[in-house]
Amino acid sequence: MKTELKKTTTKPSTIRISAGERVFHALNYIFFALVSWTTLFPFLNLLAKSLSSEEAVLSGRVSLFPVDIQFGTYLYVLSDAKFMNAFMVSVTITAAGTAIGLIMTAIAAYPLSKPRLRGRKFFILMYVFTMLFSGGLIPAYLLMHRLELIDTLWVLFLPSMISVFNMLIIKNYFESLPDELEESAKMDGATNLTILLRITVPLSLPVFATIALFYAVGFWNDYFASMIYINSPELKPLQLYLKELLIHSNITYQDGGHVPNIDAVMNTTPQAIQAASILVATLPILLVYPFLQKYFVKGVLIGSVKG
Amino acid sequence: MRRNQIWLSIVAVIAVLSLIGCNGSKSGAGADGGEGDGKQLRQLMPFERFEPNGDAVAQYLKEKTDYTVKYEMLPAENADEKLNLLMANKEPYDVLKLAPAQYYQLVSSGALEPLDDLIEQYGANMKQVIGSESWEGARYEGKTYAIPETGGGSGTASYALVVRQDWLDEMNMKAPTNLDEFVTVLRAFKEKKKVIPLTGGKVPVHPDIASVFGLTTAWMERDGKIIHSVEAPEMREYLAFMSTLYKEGLIDSEWGINTADKSIEKVASGKAAMYSPGWWVAPNLVNALAKNFPDAKLGIVPVLKDKAGVARVGSAGNTINYFIAVPKFAKHKEEAVKWLDMKFDKDIFKGIAIGEEGAHHKFEDGVYTPIMPKFADERSNASSFLTGVDEKNYPIYWQARLKKNPVVESYFATFQKNAEGLLVIDPMSAAPPIPDISKNLQRLNKYQEDTFINFISGTEPLDNYDQFLTEWRAQGGEEMVKAANEWYAKR
Repeated sequence: MKTELKKTTTKPSTIRISAGERVFHALNYIFFALVSWTTLFPFLNLLAKSLSSEEAVLSGRVSLFPVDIQFGTYLYVLSDAKFMNAFMVSVTITAAGTAIGLIMTAIAAYPLSKPRLRGRKFFILMYVFTMLFSGGLIPAYLLMHRLELIDTLWVLFLPSMISVFNMLIIKNYFESLPDELEESAKMDGATNLTILLRITVPLSLPVFATIALFYAVGFWNDYFASMIYINSPELKPLQLYLKELLIHSNITYQDGGHVPNIDAVMNTTPQAIQAASILVATLPILLVYPFLQKYFVKGVLIGSVKG
Repeated sequence: MRRNQIWLSIVAVIAVLSLIGCNGSKSGAGADGGEGDGKQLRQLMPFERFEPNGDAVAQYLKEKTDYTVKYEMLPAENADEKLNLLMANKEPYDVLKLAPAQYYQLVSSGALEPLDDLIEQYGANMKQVIGSESWEGARYEGKTYAIPETGGGSGTASYALVVRQDWLDEMNMKAPTNLDEFVTVLRAFKEKKKVIPLTGGKVPVHPDIASVFGLTTAWMERDGKIIHSVEAPEMREYLAFMSTLYKEGLIDSEWGINTADKSIEKVASGKAAMYSPGWWVAPNLVNALAKNFPDAKLGIVPVLKDKAGVARVGSAGNTINYFIAVPKFAKHKEEAVKWLDMKFDKDIFKGIAIGEEGAHHKFEDGVYTPIMPKFADERSNASSFLTGVDEKNYPIYWQARLKKNPVVESYFATFQKNAEGLLVIDPMSAAPPIPDISKNLQRLNKYQEDTFINFISGTEPLDNYDQFLTEWRAQGGEEMVKAANEWYAKR
């Protein structure tokens, strides 16, 4: 961007535009800085709250910096058996769901990307149909019940193994790979499986990384499926745990101050602990991004086809 | 090398899969383990923030009753939807602990087992300790479908105004006793202390102020008939009064959006002078304030009197909080009722509620005092395990819990002392779930809340009240009042 600016300033006739452009750029920077600040601020606020004393949080003295610093909240969260159990459940379904989901999606996309597949349009249409229409919650629940998946970890990732949207992205990527690669491999005597595993897959790492991230974030953040299908407390994933931690016992004046369960109103979770739990639950999925970053920027195809 | 990597990832995936496989089969075995033997039961309970199966009360019950019960909770959100799914699926629960609206929903759709015969046969204890009025409340079309669970005694005051006593002293003023003095005090806070005189959160009908106008609870009795408080002519006076307070800046300008947490925050940080907390939030408020201003002092304002010198405190009364039911498709109906009845045994019930004497509580001079921290460790969630209460003794056990925290204890005690003899109980407190009310109440409450906030903040002129009332009636209010009166006349 800098070089562009320089170019324009060397031409005397465009000085005016360049000044306007500069203002435009400056405003852009300010605008996007503000946008990123609004997304960053809640995190910083949570971080500060999680490190502050409960009294400071309750009296609203904590905004960006911790007040009366303490680390007890993190010790509490990390030593809480329920939290750690939920954490492990989330890690398991995210790891398994992402790995299997990626494989399933890729092997569904591969044949669909080959024009020589008979009835290709029909199969694609079948997939797309499920994007638009679904059976609804109760039939889905009954189906899971018949499959005896209710209240197992399987139900949290098996039904969402193939996302049609992701499958189409991978299919389009496969289609963009040059046919010549496949032809040359065939001339060297490669079978279909060899072509898929040794040529198509290594070339598609960037799209796999992207889709893996989609799946991982999706599985990590999902709480609806677990809320509906999971009954046993020991199988509840992290997001459901968080949801339950953050719900307040809601007694309103309209109930005439009616207290149905005295223990519920007397056991409140300190806000500092709530903040610490949210941060510990969010961190792992944030940490995945830097590791996948390199795949997003690399152009793997450069130089693979010559002549 | 590539091939190695691919194999490696395949092996990794298979390893993860087999791990999950183990997990899944283990939990499956746990759930089905009880099929053969009649001493195993499965109970569904409302959401609460703890793990019921590992709880000390669950252990205690297992030892005392010899039944192994697997407890499951509804989720914190969308609980009704999940309950409907579970029932549509005939999930084999033996005992359900239901909120009133859920009970009505299930009983009217025929999902519950009538319990009259089973209670007659196995329910000796429960018949003795639950009053006939409560049993009446659990009846539906002449049959008993549930065990009613009432609460901690009839009529307690939940709210009272608290005030920064140190500021009052500083200004040489006394706590207000009626509305005129109340306004004078609020003005003084505004002018001399430059703080928000009264904060509060999203409260369309502020109980401490509305009761001065005679608006005690949502339902009221007038000349032998039941009316809803929005129909009472005093509601207009109350709203007009609140609206003038708002205009003058005597109540929080964020009245319409404050949450309870936000209001506590304003008092604790010295930005507001008065607030009306429930006794259970008092410790948060008191501790945070003490940390910020060691010299600050909170005073509890006695109940305000009206022009005739009469004070009133509205109370929801001792309503049925939960209904304990057995679904039609339960596998062990008789065992379930037998187990439920064992929990009403005098000693076992006491053990659930407040634990063992000497270990969890002391009994001195007729008062039960919890022994900390054992009581907090092992009986902090005991209320969730109740499936109906001994209506004579439970209010006493209930009060023992207040002693877990000295601030709660003293606030509760003061609230009750101030309200002594002034309580007006909601006339609908003993009513069973009435369909025409259940289906409308939540929606109408929301409509009332939104409109009242507008009246108070002046966004809508109070002249529109008749319009609101017509709309309220048309949207189900009329139906509700009619059904309430039908029940009240037959009572």
